[in-house]
Amino acid sequence: MSVLWLRTAAALYGCGLLYALIYLFRKSTRLFRPALIAFGAGTIFHLVSIAELWAETGHLPLNNFYETSSVCAFLIALLFLLAYTRYQISVFGVCIFPLVFFMTMIGATEFPVAKWSPEFRNTWLVIHIATVLIGFAALIFSAMASVYYLLQERQLKRKDVTPSANRLPPLGTLDTIITQSMNAGFVFITIGTITGVIWAFIESGTGWIGNPKIAFFLFTWAVYLAMIFLRVSAGWRGRRIAWLAVTVLGCSVITWATHATLGSFWQR
Amino acid sequence: MKLVVAGVNHRTAPVELREKLAYRPDEIPAALIELQAQGAKEAIILSTCNRVELTATAEDLSDDMLLAALGAGRAGVILEELRPHLYRLENNAAIRHLFRVAASLDSMIVGEPQILGQLKQAYSLAREHGSVGPMLDTVLTRAFSVAKRIRSETDIGRNAVSVSYAAVELAREIFGSLHKRRVLIVGAGKMSEGAARHLMNAGAEIFVTNRTPERAAEMAQLFRGKTMRYEVFPQRLAELDVVITSSAAPEQVLTRETVRRALEARKHQPIFLIDIAVPRNIDPAVQDLEHAFLYDIDDLKRLADRNLEARRGVAQEAETIVAEEVERLEAKLREREVGPVIVSLQEQLEGIRQDVLIRHRARLGSLTEEQHSAVEALTRAIVNKIAHAPISEMRREAAEKSGGEAPREAEVASVVRRMFRLRER
Repeated sequence: MSVLWLRTAAALYGCGLLYALIYLFRKSTRLFRPALIAFGAGTIFHLVSIAELWAETGHLPLNNFYETSSVCAFLIALLFLLAYTRYQISVFGVCIFPLVFFMTMIGATEFPVAKWSPEFRNTWLVIHIATVLIGFAALIFSAMASVYYLLQERQLKRKDVTPSANRLPPLGTLDTIITQSMNAGFVFITIGTITGVIWAFIESGTGWIGNPKIAFFLFTWAVYLAMIFLRVSAGWRGRRIAWLAVTVLGCSVITWATHATLGSFWQR
Repeated sequence: MKLVVAGVNHRTAPVELREKLAYRPDEIPAALIELQAQGAKEAIILSTCNRVELTATAEDLSDDMLLAALGAGRAGVILEELRPHLYRLENNAAIRHLFRVAASLDSMIVGEPQILGQLKQAYSLAREHGSVGPMLDTVLTRAFSVAKRIRSETDIGRNAVSVSYAAVELAREIFGSLHKRRVLIVGAGKMSEGAARHLMNAGAEIFVTNRTPERAAEMAQLFRGKTMRYEVFPQRLAELDVVITSSAAPEQVLTRETVRRALEARKHQPIFLIDIAVPRNIDPAVQDLEHAFLYDIDDLKRLADRNLEARRGVAQEAETIVAEEVERLEAKLREREVGPVIVSLQEQLEGIRQDVLIRHRARLGSLTEEQHSAVEALTRAIVNKIAHAPISEMRREAAEKSGGEAPREAEVASVVRRMFRLRER
């Protein structure tokens, strides 16, 4: 039963993730309250799941990576809720919601489920690859704009604005382009990551977690999440965010390279 | 028929003289009538603060006639005093001049955009008056499109050449659109007012602060802006995108620390600081802060100068386009001179051929289809052979550049006209 509670919790945390993604574009906290309620409900289910497992086994469920991931996610969620009741800082949600969701989702993949039909499987794979590629494209775009930003910023700082036809775009415009493509990229890569994890889980059962490709993919996603969070909360822009964008792009390139042998995944 | 441009401009005449000669728009119709009375077939008058120029077509327009037209009804203008300042250009040189004026290559500030509008206005005024004929129409319309071509193909109007405008250009480099950007003017001064006006026109919101609140209120009214209390403006720095300081304060009004805190408060959105005060109002160390862009008067001056230099280089490019376009229009006008003569010559000969053929048709008896077309071909060949020499002679003259002398194609065309007794078309 406990895994069912855990999956329910993951689904509720998903509402929080959705809020975080919408927040990137809307910058409005109107949806924060419903998201917080869903998140809180998720935490309760999460607690139930852990308690049940504890009762079954007679000790804290920390037997393997899935269980530790789940418990850790639960603790983060709990801390966030406590901090929120005390300090009312909603901007942490942008980082915490997706993180807790992912860790719980990983925890929920402890037990393999039935295999799927080949058609469904291939369609799923197409969705996964398509969303990830769109995300990469947006990321490349934002990294490119970042490089222009760095150049333009340097020119303006050096008071060396060239009076020529091929002027660089204004900083403000570049900043908007960076923000928007970065956000769009994050949405797509997040969807891609979720579909990818589910795919790997169903495909190779509980063994998926040991796959270095996926581990690296998750790492890339985490760096991306950190970048988005720094931008939203700390207002990172300019030089720092540009370097981060380039770093994430580098991680993405490595992720891509590890998936170079993707052809073998297609079935029949 | 000659095309003549004559007048005075910022290079040939001092402002005292130019302002005496300048026409108000309502004076222009009378002046056009005066020009026509002097013998002009077509006429346009361009009058701006930097030039007063008559453009006309006429069989002959002497300097005296032009002077008379320029000086007519002008109080305090002595024609003989005017004479040394007058320039006069004809035909190709006149076309070239008009192209250069329209493209703002002859302006005091090369590339300034107003002149094209002024020329268009002069053109439509003359048109309403009915003094624009086919020749001026062709030349002026061409001049407008040349100006447009130069504007789109070169960077002539691109770079700011004044200090206050350079500041606005920089603001654009930083923020993109200036719409709704918040600008604070600290203190008063000509240059900061100039920059504020440009920024206001670009859609920015203007705030003004001054040690004397009355002065601030006065200036704020000028820019439809708001005032800010002098004592608190450093605290409100975070709300502002552009700050222009030109206060006479002997001490620094903005320190590095103030700006650093403001940047933090505005989440590192860039801030543009323009310090045109001497001694400077803003701590130069602000420049080390990321996302703060500090420019002082020397920086702006250097940028404006550099732009001016670049514009001079661009003007060279534009001159090449003008030369090319003058040549093209010349060829077109020359062709216009000989084209109708060629057509009427061909029509005349064809008419003769058909007349003769009809008259003598009966003598040939009945012809087969084949024989008939042979006769047609034969007569046509004779006519074409005869027409070939005069036509190619006229074309050759039209294609050749006259090189400053009187155009010869008109002469040849009129000889051909007389020899073949062609009717005027």
